[in-house]
Amino acid sequence: MGREETLALLEAGQVPERYLRNAGTIGAAGQARLLAARVAVVGAGGLGGTVIELLARMGVGYLRIIDGDAFAAHNLNRQLLATETNLGAGKAAAAAARVACINTDVAVDAVPCMLDAGNAVALLTGMDVIVDALDTIGDRQLLARAARQLAIPLVHGAIAGFTGQVATLLPGDPGLERIYHPAAGPARGIETVLGNPAATPAIAAALQAQEVMKLLTGVGEPLSRKLLYFDTEYNIFETLTL
Amino acid sequence: MQIEVRLYATLRQAAPDAPAGVLTVAASAGATVADLLALVNVDPAAVRLLMVNGIAADLGRVLRDGDRLGVFPPLGGG
Repeated sequence: MGREETLALLEAGQVPERYLRNAGTIGAAGQARLLAARVAVVGAGGLGGTVIELLARMGVGYLRIIDGDAFAAHNLNRQLLATETNLGAGKAAAAAARVACINTDVAVDAVPCMLDAGNAVALLTGMDVIVDALDTIGDRQLLARAARQLAIPLVHGAIAGFTGQVATLLPGDPGLERIYHPAAGPARGIETVLGNPAATPAIAAALQAQEVMKLLTGVGEPLSRKLLYFDTEYNIFETLTL
Repeated sequence: MQIEVRLYATLRQAAPDAPAGVLTVAASAGATVADLLALVNVDPAAVRLLMVNGIAADLGRVLRDGDRLGVFPPLGGG
């Protein structure tokens, strides 16, 4: 069954079996909104791999996956898309191949290049939501500027060690300058000391995917003007006000 | 006045005896967030995010008795 056929069924109020376990939460109308949506995932590493997996399973109809990197052995500890057989291969193409195995309702545009000041606006124009799954503070700031310029919601996530944070920046919300103050500080955080163990990006990515789902369906309350911060070393989950 | 200071992640190293990085600090009336960081030996350059009672604040914020100060190092990984 293709996406158009799936959408026709949903418009008639019928939920295909593959989406039955979504229906109680978002309904046929919410599923149709997901299938009609366009989401950019910037970064297909520890955060992005899991975000892509979850959005594809939820049935987000179009994913633009932007990452110019290739898999290395130090990705294997946490990056869902990294395997012993694809080391050296491009992350964006690996993500597209994974989505094709999961859900043929989802169209993927794999973009094998790094986001930069010259291409950001062109690559992100027309998206309904952008996911920040990058791995440096400097790149996140560049992405946030582009999202703000385009007035597209941005779902931010970042991790280090046992800790992670997720925030949804709607157009007009305070931006990353609240989270990373001063803006001109170092481009990397404490992940340079603590590293990124397996479960931490999975937790943050799951929260990011849930934010995308809420934004696209209108169900629930997004983390707008809030920062959800977790420090699982001491079982801390806090929702802070930006 | 008494301020509850909560240190997260790597910043807990500044208070190795404080369970889970939570400590109560005695400070003079009128003390700012920057003053409290000095009292707990945290370098402001290691901090990018500060919260007072769960709301974003800056180094110059004047604290009140009973305030809860959260001190967060930057996370950038993915």
